[in-house]
Amino acid sequence: MPAAPLSARIDAMVFRRWSEAHVTPAPPAEDAEFYRRASLDLAGRIPYVAEVRAFLADRSDDKRHAAIERWLDSPAYVQHFANVWRSALLTQATAPDLRFAAERLEGWLRVELRENRPYDRMVREVITTPLGERIASVRSEDAAPTPLAFYQANELKPENLASATSRIFLGVNLECAQCHNHPFAPWRQDQFWQFAGFFAGVARLRPDNAFAPAPEVLDRHSITIAGTERIVEARYLDDAEPDWAAGERPRVLLADWLTSADNSYFARAAVNRMWAHFFGRGLVDPLDELGGNKAPSHPELLDTLAGEFVASGYDLKFLIRAIVGSQIYQRSSRFTDASQRDPSLFARAVGRGLTPEQWFDSFVVATGCDDNQRAEMLGKFSSLERPAEMQTSILQSLAMMNGRLVTDATSLTESRTLAAVIDAPFLDRKGKIEALFLASLSREPLPAEIEPLIAYFDSTDGQASSSSQDSREREALADIFWALLNSAEFKLNH
Amino acid sequence: MKRADDRATKAFRSARRDWLRWASSSAIAASMSGWFAQLAVQAASQPTRARRCILLWMNGGPSQIDTFDPKPGHENGGPFKPIATQTPGIHIGEYLPQVSHWTDRLAIIRSMSGKEADHGRASYLVRTGRAPEAAIQYPTLGSLMAKELGDESAALPSFVSIAPYRSTNLAAYNPGFLGPTFAPFIVGDVTPAGAQQQAADAYRAALQVADLRPPSSIPDARQANRLGLWRSMEQAFVAGRPDIPAESHAAAYDRAVRLMHPDAASAFTLDQEPDKLRDAYGRTMFGQGCLLARRLIERGVPFVEVSLGGINSGGMGWDTHVGNFETVKRLCGVLDPAWATLLRDLSERGLLDTTLVIWMGEFGRTPKINGTGGRDHYPLAWSAVLGGGGIHGGQVVGRTSDDGTIVADRPTAVPELLATACAALGIDPHKTNPSNLGRPIHLIDYAAQPIDGVAT
Repeated sequence: MPAAPLSARIDAMVFRRWSEAHVTPAPPAEDAEFYRRASLDLAGRIPYVAEVRAFLADRSDDKRHAAIERWLDSPAYVQHFANVWRSALLTQATAPDLRFAAERLEGWLRVELRENRPYDRMVREVITTPLGERIASVRSEDAAPTPLAFYQANELKPENLASATSRIFLGVNLECAQCHNHPFAPWRQDQFWQFAGFFAGVARLRPDNAFAPAPEVLDRHSITIAGTERIVEARYLDDAEPDWAAGERPRVLLADWLTSADNSYFARAAVNRMWAHFFGRGLVDPLDELGGNKAPSHPELLDTLAGEFVASGYDLKFLIRAIVGSQIYQRSSRFTDASQRDPSLFARAVGRGLTPEQWFDSFVVATGCDDNQRAEMLGKFSSLERPAEMQTSILQSLAMMNGRLVTDATSLTESRTLAAVIDAPFLDRKGKIEALFLASLSREPLPAEIEPLIAYFDSTDGQASSSSQDSREREALADIFWALLNSAEFKLNH
Repeated sequence: MKRADDRATKAFRSARRDWLRWASSSAIAASMSGWFAQLAVQAASQPTRARRCILLWMNGGPSQIDTFDPKPGHENGGPFKPIATQTPGIHIGEYLPQVSHWTDRLAIIRSMSGKEADHGRASYLVRTGRAPEAAIQYPTLGSLMAKELGDESAALPSFVSIAPYRSTNLAAYNPGFLGPTFAPFIVGDVTPAGAQQQAADAYRAALQVADLRPPSSIPDARQANRLGLWRSMEQAFVAGRPDIPAESHAAAYDRAVRLMHPDAASAFTLDQEPDKLRDAYGRTMFGQGCLLARRLIERGVPFVEVSLGGINSGGMGWDTHVGNFETVKRLCGVLDPAWATLLRDLSERGLLDTTLVIWMGEFGRTPKINGTGGRDHYPLAWSAVLGGGGIHGGQVVGRTSDDGTIVADRPTAVPELLATACAALGIDPHKTNPSNLGRPIHLIDYAAQPIDGVAT
């Protein structure tokens, strides 16, 4: 199914809101801006210098589409979206003892994404995956790929599984209904526990061992409401009663209902999540407010995307092509008019924080450093906030300014990128500065940026008076690279 | 174009000047000492409300019967004897002799009661005031207080966590939806590898702050140049893209640079303290951590927590399933001098009236002694202690039954304890913050009120 017509409908619907709200949108993104952003969003890292140069030099009309296709076919897409979906499925700050299980989940996601498995089938497998002895085996490093971590992260508790299922796959937050009637939306406590009834057979874990085997009672579909004596039968959130007659397992019946084309929440939650991935906020925001009182910013667009997503056979790449191919995605992030302030109008691309993986993998691309500090740095830069609200801590800043990673990456003896630039006989000062900009910011410097930097080569402030012109130049390049790697422009997607 | 160059050059020069000024400590030593004295005067002149807080966090869940709720004459009481304290009628465990002199400044809550018996869940509950929920990441107490009491323009961070052992639940130590601006500045992270450190002087290396100075290969003047280059790039970018992530990035770097200033960074230099005082705190990770806490509080840091999980390490020290009494005795040997010296030190500097000191862990231990001489997890009836600024001292709140198994009077839930801490700090516990779900969230659960008669 070609995605271009859907891109055009996205544009038309967002344009209409701009004109209603008298918005002057940001100008279209230039090639370099588009290329870096799309590379981060699709491949999870900034592009290599050679890729940027080739893209900028390419004169063909459809080069952006061609680039999108290249990324979607690349192993980097698989790796990046495995990260993205892992965080979506395991929203809890992952406990250290869930590490292996989380890795197995990521492995499973990689297989699914490599095949471009239809989204409804992916979710069905999460919901119906067999439990039992396999829980124990997830502990070992060589266990087979499996989505079981979803169950472990939710402590194998029916109520946790129910609210995670509803929140992640339907965009409906039921948490408040667990203990009392929901203050914001019309979900009720009984409804919540009825929904949890589909997971009633899942045995609880011992609190001290997330890997103890969990024998499942396959046909149980009634559950006691916690803190009461009341028992309720499993029931769907739309109040329909499952057809138990066929003898199907409750989790299978749940998956049938969840992924059915009649369930409008399922596709809308998925397209809303993908939209937020590319724009930093959903058409309904927050993502789990589909069932609440918050109206979508573009109701017609949400329904259109959902409808086309279903029609495509839940094809995630189709959805991504349509979004990334739109003119809305390809706006500049430069703030050029006060009317761009309301983020729900998508009048400019907003700056977003990188995931720790995006940041570290980009750092490796920029500097050519080894990735042996990956685990340590991912830990230091882990974050729980939404990308459009991502903050930086003092400790993170200190680690970047003074820590070993950046020190080595800007050292004249350790840094591969720096060494290559310094030793390039065919580059003059300007060419060397350009190379460092391309390596880190994926763009060429503006003339206004270059001139003070060239002047910096000749500045003797802070240099030992004995140092030669040659070593001053080397140090100046190292200093410029240090500043680039520490910049917000490098650290963010924009 | 010319003007843009000028602006960039100007920004570069001014940033460079700033750093050079910061870097030459002698030039501003005078003004810094003035600033320091001023802070101390301010602190002492507002004695009614504490505006700073130290949390002494007992990792693993300390035994209440062997510390603050002795049960002499009952088989659950174990071998420890109660001792009299500064306050007539109040008795505590015999291995807290120094702390016993300070009970007139302490409110001992003997009726803490809850349901969470798993370390991870209970740590989260006690440290955030909320039971874990998948959809929302609640901030830990220090982050909440840093937001209320901190000053963005200060040289030092607003929330420092010393030697935290976060293995059971990282989220219990996170700023949650408040974000990294209010993240703990961690000194001596003992999670999890460092937990093995047991050497007597392990605290020396552990309490060093990483990356606080530029690498030795970069002289100050060159660092100033680098920051100048950085600042002109950063300013141009943030001006063109005024989003939260960009603004927060620039702000965090500013704070980091301020912290790198030798006068600010010297807050972490324990060698400046007299040997005698260092000995009094105890030459342990926790003892020296408490001394560091005082240095930070004195310099205006509003929230400092110090974790005690091992004699000289991180860990789950208070998790005494086996050999409870030996371990509690040894841990009290670390806790008692550190805590009592901290109270004395704060008091002598006029800071105790403005500093709330909280002592607590994630739950208590079973009154019944198990077959291996240990006590197991027990959230139904346990103790916590509030002391110093904002607290009516010399009192016990609540009572447990003679065998210690149930709360016989004034059951107190965790949110009530934290609401009381807020009240002592002059903070409305029911103020709201915007959350990551776009819903306003009260600092402390709306249903919880401060305990009567504890906060001044």
